[in-house]
Amino acid sequence: MASVHESLYFNPMMTNGVVHANVFGIKDWVTPYKISVLALLYEMTTSKPIALQERRRLNKLILPLQQGPDLTLDQFLKTVEECCPQTAYAVKLRLHEMADGELKDMEYFFATLPTPFSAIDSEAYKTSVVGLFMRHMLLAYNKLSFSQVYKLYKALQQYYHSHYSQPGDVQVGLPALAADDSDMDLTSTEDNVGERMEKEELDTRPEVVDRGPLSQKQAEYFLARQAYLLKNDENKALKPSALQDELNNMLKFNPDFAEAHYLSYLNSMRVQDIFISTHSLLHYFDRLILSGSEGKSNGDEGYGRSLRYAALNLAALHCRFGHYQQADLALQEAIRIAQESNDHVCLQHCLSWLYTLEQMKGSDSSVLTEDSVKMAAHFCLPYLVSLGIQSLVQQGAVQGKTAHELMDALKDTDILHWKHSLSELIDISLAQTTSIWRMYGKSTMAQQQAQLLLNMNSLEQVNFGVQQNNTEAFAVALCHLAELHAEQGLYGAVSEVLKHLKEQFPPHTQHAKLWMLCDLKIQFDRAMNDGKYHLAEPHVTAIAALNKTEGLYRKAQVLKALNRTTEAYSILQRLQLYCEKTKYTEMIIRVMLVTAELHWESSGFATALPLLLQALALARQHHLQALASETILHLAFTQLMLGVPEQALGVLHEAMEPILAHGAVMDKGRALLLAARCQMAMAGTRSNGQKHAALGLAVQSLGEAAAYFSMLDCKERLRDVHYLQARLHHTLGQTPQRNKCAMLFRLLDQELQAPGAPLL
Amino acid sequence: MAALCSEFGDLVQIKKQLISVISLCKERGLVHSVKWASELAFSLDPLPKNELPPPTFFTEEDAQDLDALGLAKSYFDLKEYDRAAYFLRGCCSQKAYFLYMYSRYLSGEKKKDDETVDSLGPLEKGQVRNEALRELRVELSKKHSAGELDGFALYLYGVVLRKLDLLKEAVDVFVEATHALPLHWGAWLELCNLVTNIEMLKSLSLPDCWIRDFFMAHMYTELQMIKEALQKYQSLIEAGFSKSTYIMSQIAVAYHNIRDIDQALALFNELREQDPFRVENMDTFSNLLYVRSMKPELSYLAHNLVEIDKYRVETCCVIGNYYSLRSQHEKAALYFQRALKLNPRCLGAWTLMGHEYMEMKNTSAAIQAYRHAIEVNKRDYRAWYGLGQTYEILKMPFYCLYYYRKAHQLRPNDSRMLVALGESYEKLSQHVEAKKCYWRAYSVGDVERMALLKLAKLHEQLNESDDAAQCYIIYIQDIFSCGEQLEHAEVSTALRYLGQYYFKNKLYDEASLCAQRCCDYNDAREEGKALLRQISQVRDQTESSTTDLFGPLSSNNTPIRRVSPLDLSSFTP
Repeated sequence: MASVHESLYFNPMMTNGVVHANVFGIKDWVTPYKISVLALLYEMTTSKPIALQERRRLNKLILPLQQGPDLTLDQFLKTVEECCPQTAYAVKLRLHEMADGELKDMEYFFATLPTPFSAIDSEAYKTSVVGLFMRHMLLAYNKLSFSQVYKLYKALQQYYHSHYSQPGDVQVGLPALAADDSDMDLTSTEDNVGERMEKEELDTRPEVVDRGPLSQKQAEYFLARQAYLLKNDENKALKPSALQDELNNMLKFNPDFAEAHYLSYLNSMRVQDIFISTHSLLHYFDRLILSGSEGKSNGDEGYGRSLRYAALNLAALHCRFGHYQQADLALQEAIRIAQESNDHVCLQHCLSWLYTLEQMKGSDSSVLTEDSVKMAAHFCLPYLVSLGIQSLVQQGAVQGKTAHELMDALKDTDILHWKHSLSELIDISLAQTTSIWRMYGKSTMAQQQAQLLLNMNSLEQVNFGVQQNNTEAFAVALCHLAELHAEQGLYGAVSEVLKHLKEQFPPHTQHAKLWMLCDLKIQFDRAMNDGKYHLAEPHVTAIAALNKTEGLYRKAQVLKALNRTTEAYSILQRLQLYCEKTKYTEMIIRVMLVTAELHWESSGFATALPLLLQALALARQHHLQALASETILHLAFTQLMLGVPEQALGVLHEAMEPILAHGAVMDKGRALLLAARCQMAMAGTRSNGQKHAALGLAVQSLGEAAAYFSMLDCKERLRDVHYLQARLHHTLGQTPQRNKCAMLFRLLDQELQAPGAPLL
Repeated sequence: MAALCSEFGDLVQIKKQLISVISLCKERGLVHSVKWASELAFSLDPLPKNELPPPTFFTEEDAQDLDALGLAKSYFDLKEYDRAAYFLRGCCSQKAYFLYMYSRYLSGEKKKDDETVDSLGPLEKGQVRNEALRELRVELSKKHSAGELDGFALYLYGVVLRKLDLLKEAVDVFVEATHALPLHWGAWLELCNLVTNIEMLKSLSLPDCWIRDFFMAHMYTELQMIKEALQKYQSLIEAGFSKSTYIMSQIAVAYHNIRDIDQALALFNELREQDPFRVENMDTFSNLLYVRSMKPELSYLAHNLVEIDKYRVETCCVIGNYYSLRSQHEKAALYFQRALKLNPRCLGAWTLMGHEYMEMKNTSAAIQAYRHAIEVNKRDYRAWYGLGQTYEILKMPFYCLYYYRKAHQLRPNDSRMLVALGESYEKLSQHVEAKKCYWRAYSVGDVERMALLKLAKLHEQLNESDDAAQCYIIYIQDIFSCGEQLEHAEVSTALRYLGQYYFKNKLYDEASLCAQRCCDYNDAREEGKALLRQISQVRDQTESSTTDLFGPLSSNNTPIRRVSPLDLSSFTP
């Protein structure tokens, strides 16, 4: 209120009641740091020859120095020294001349700068990066008023002297503008020392620390870089809180810098803060509406456009937070305004969000997606087209479209991507191919695609030293890779991959859930294979937290293993109904398989048969080779138990080839064990000579199975194998082998103790 | 009698205290506190000669510093702060120390303001700071921890801390300052700006002094707890401050905040009689005149204020309102801009300018203005509401929901926000929410009396005829009971619907009553007559068959939720 201290300042930037940040078109201005950079450039362009190596290093330094935030003289000199000590010394000398001299020295410096318009041959030619920078600086310098020039000179002196007053002290804040006129103090000098100590002590408190102002250019560069990192590699971006501090700082210095609000929106999305993100988003668009409004009312370029995109962005925000109803309302609004102003491009974006929203809600949106693709192609929006196609491919894969259709579609989009250099979509496309191959059960192909993605060089032109983008596509590919290795029993490699994932996608980031689930699944499978059910059980809860369906399925598995049949059965029934509703074919088949296993436990082999046949039909229809092979294994076992080993063996042969080619180690072992048992069962009916031959074959199969099982350290199954081996050797009269196998069996049996061998 | 005497004795004491604090503040150049205390002292009865406080005695230190202080004070009054500080540097009395530090502080502030104009670049604009602040803080904190600061120096320390955005420390120091010197109103005022909610207010331990009541009342007004504020002020008036213009203006502002326009207008008129050259708070007065569309009064006020001082923020706002009322929105916007140039942190002007741009259909500029208002003060509900309205005009009902919600949060019991929310929900076909909003708007006391009508129409649309009828009935009751004529009243619509409704439910007496009432309105006359004809036709038929049945029928057919039929004959439309 009536405070005497309120500053009354006149704002020259204001016209028409609206503050223009950039009314004079000045994006940059001279600071002591900039003068140091100029001195460096001056040394580089004018002075004696520098060694090629050093010159190259200096050249590489120019852009970051020009664009980055202001450094202290210490930091600046250190970076230059690392490249070329001789130049660093020259720069220091030049600065010393200015700072220790008079105002005219600085004026002289600016006067002697090579004029970019005359120097045609040098690096400082007017269109070069250096020349442009020099022109900016000269312009900015020439525009300064008398008092400003004097202020700049004072700042330069302080900048230079602070380098000496606190040698080695790496201070983040730019002390150029900080008050340091201790000569104003009238207390004695010894007092002064203590005071300064205290001042520094106070200044290091977090609330007082502030960074130097960023010029518009520096701010833009900072925002662009952070936004890029947020999108591509969250780890390298600033921590959410640090970034927010930086943004608040920036907004405090210049509230008109609206882009900072948008970054703040992105940043708070990272930490799932709906309040701040909504607030920032709306604030950004409120600000943006102004900048687009000049002269045009509601046309394509005017603020009507930003209104439409504002509504669309709001929809996207609600979508990400899972507020589907809100998102729907916002989207409808965006569509309505876009329709009213005939903005087809915006409408296309709306449409693509619409089908995404439908998908997230769990309803079928393929018709919408197809429409979207067609329209986007018509309006030449390659990004939206291929995004739509990818979405269609995903849906098609789940719904059992034939493989060649999907692959054709993906190939078409790939052509589009390479034509338009849509590197982000290329990544997604590769990850998608990996997933599709994996789903079909072709592990080699999947592995190859995943490796292709991981080894590809990014197309991004300016990638700030980012070797590999940390996008969702990479996370997906890496997860697949981990699971593929786990299938082959290469757990060392798996832990390597997971470690890498953990580093690249720390637990709080957006895509961390992917590897968490993958990690849990692998651990669960291992525990189950080892027969350590008590270890598997806690994983179930964790899995359920990340993915409900998967969690239920795993729970049923554990219950089955613990012989709690009734509970397992009821869960499976529920799960099957749910999956049929959501058309999750893979899960349906798996549920059927587990149900069939439950029937075995109660010796209902005949009842399991129709279920398995149904599962087989489904798997074949959807080209899910891995699951089909597994179903065949189940089928063969059922037939064996029903007393038709010939049939069983016949069926088994069908599956043997794909399993040995693509299957997991576990499946390979199981298939061979089953084959051996079939052979043994058949041998029983044969005459003596044939019997021997058949049994020999069975021994061989058992040997291979034992090799696979021992790879996985799967003791229970190994014990069964040894038992069968011992019996066979006994029948064949090979006593030493028999004894050896019997001993192995005995050892394992003692180790395991637990009764109740698995049936397969 | 005894109570009165003690009250009077108290007042004498208060007056003495005020007089002494006035001289203390005057010596230190704290002009605003002097003004406040003097206003209050003026409102009390003059003291008899023998009661006047004796001239202040000098300590040894004071005597030593007397000349330097006199010199420095004269420089200080001429705004040569550095010079004043220079001559005070060796002094050791508390008074001199305060003036020394205060000069340095003000010198920094002045330089800051000067430098804003020629800073080194646009982004540095917000970067310009008072460079003396840090040093002052260091020195003051040292003295503070040694316990050497008096009340005034503590106040200055608090101000320095607040300027450095160290708000928590600042609050503590201000509380300490009020303990050390309760009569210094500036410290209370600073504290008031830092307290953001009632919990924080309760947690402060404040000195027990009569001035505390003033602070609490002020605080309640700021926190929009108008009822409590009015109570406090009332008790202060009863305690003997009835002539204080300060209290009068505060009460008027409070009434303005709860939209009790008549009371506020009366108070402002009285205030202007007592203090005709007052400029403070006149912008609020002009808002009231604007709301009541009192053109001549507003025009008189504007001309009068221009004569007093045309370069005051308040004057500019009044003129802006004046032009706005005359529908000269460009000029109005110009004057609000001028107000903002005079003080960019003037919140009201940003919002009012937003309104003007809205009138000019310049939505983007309006959005900008409102946004600025919010940036200055996040709790400005009018700016949030204005933003909502802007987006509503741009036909973005979902988008504006956020803004209306914000406004509603800040003013939970304001029906306008609730009606606006309801309308937006209705446009989004979220009928349940819309109904809730309208009903709530009615429950908190509908200012514009539109909520019920809208609710009724919504029910009508959704074919919930019983609910619709009920709403219309309450609406009619409401309209007639408030007595005044409203331009947009749609009594005829309500009556028309009710007539049809009763007719359908075979309540012919009520139906005919409604139909007759309909005939009083031009737009519903024909329908009313038609309905009457229908009723008489049906009655003829039923009477011919069973005359007796009509009575029981009407009572049996009454829907359960219905209110008892109205005695419409008593209404005088």
